[in-house]
Amino acid sequence: MSLIVRLAAVALTAAFCGGCVTARVEEIREGHTEMAAGDTIAVLGRRERPSAAETELDFVDCVSKNMGGGDGVSVIPDRTFRDTLFPWFEPRTAPTNTRDLPDLIGHPTFIERLNSLGIKYLVWIEGSTRRTDSAGTMSCTISPAGGGCFGFLTWENDSEYEASIWDIKQRRTVGKVSSDAVGTSYMPALIVPVPIIARVKNSACTSLADQLKIFLTAES
Amino acid sequence: MNSTPRHVRGWVFALLLALGACASPKISMEGSFPIPLVNQYPVTVGWVLDEELLAFTHSEKVDRGSEWVIKIGTVQQAMFDSLSKGMFKSHVFLKEEKAEPPVTVIFVPSIEELQFSTPAQTRSKYFEVWIKYKFKLLNADGSLRGEFPLTAYGKAHTQNYSLNTTTSALEEATNAACRDAMAFFALQFRTLPPVKTWLDEEGLGG
Repeated sequence: MSLIVRLAAVALTAAFCGGCVTARVEEIREGHTEMAAGDTIAVLGRRERPSAAETELDFVDCVSKNMGGGDGVSVIPDRTFRDTLFPWFEPRTAPTNTRDLPDLIGHPTFIERLNSLGIKYLVWIEGSTRRTDSAGTMSCTISPAGGGCFGFLTWENDSEYEASIWDIKQRRTVGKVSSDAVGTSYMPALIVPVPIIARVKNSACTSLADQLKIFLTAES
Repeated sequence: MNSTPRHVRGWVFALLLALGACASPKISMEGSFPIPLVNQYPVTVGWVLDEELLAFTHSEKVDRGSEWVIKIGTVQQAMFDSLSKGMFKSHVFLKEEKAEPPVTVIFVPSIEELQFSTPAQTRSKYFEVWIKYKFKLLNADGSLRGEFPLTAYGKAHTQNYSLNTTTSALEEATNAACRDAMAFFALQFRTLPPVKTWLDEEGLGG
């Protein structure tokens, strides 16, 4: 069997088997939650100091949009919330745990603004998506007469995120929801690369957002 | 009739692509800043933003030759305007270092130093920016009350900027440093030695 046929077979196998994502969601409830009319939540990514870790902005936006879509809950996006409550949620000043909340709530202007927004819960998202494995080679050539690629690449991504839900009025953590997703992507190339991408981060996002909606709105 | 041979056009296109990839970043900060949510001091203050501050540009050669340029003077007035709207009853921008009542004190900020680092330099995934300010605090008649430094820091992760990564991430890191300067000024204001003395004299020391 020629190399071209073998590569095509690998690409076809990858198309059927690759791009699959395995996602797992877990929830820990520590307190009662409910959302009344007019209640809003803020979804925020962790980026305080001195930690070097930072949750991706597109992931935080994705969770916000998925929680707010359809018959979802009312959500204030990260940047809007930080601007509205500036400078209390900057990397220099953001509360790192619920013990810091009383200091913040002691400022009358702060609590007044928080109430006007109807914020009931803060959802802090930590975590990231990492490439955990990769294999294969691909070489590409470009010349004035044309170009092309030849080879096969595969890689595995792992998304691990955890959302902590703070109740502003009770000043305590009411629960945590975590979402882990793993998936392998493939890219066979026979002149033109054909990426077969496992949407790992997107899967972790939708799983987390769906579970957060259930957590906040379900009777507990 | 187009007489340019096809292979020449191909090489020109490849050369333009290569030049585009090597272009050194030049950013000019623009935009507005949020008004800080803090208790307002019932005083009128003055700001003197001199030409040097308003035109402040940092240029630095990185990676053997390419020059990186950050124009940050362009947003200084917007920064101090938003800051003052949140912190003081009213404020004015002055052309000289003296003012008539109701202005009680005058702030004269200057940028002493700006530094930045790239992911390649720090072996991280962050662009980082440090800005070192110096503030003079003057009485309304122009006499010096004191000075205080302010160091601000901002970073931006490359993962958040998939297109035009360098320029966008450096711009965001600079923006984050400007916001950090505002946050420091708004929240540490009453603890700064010359400011504390002035607030105590005004009966605003709390």
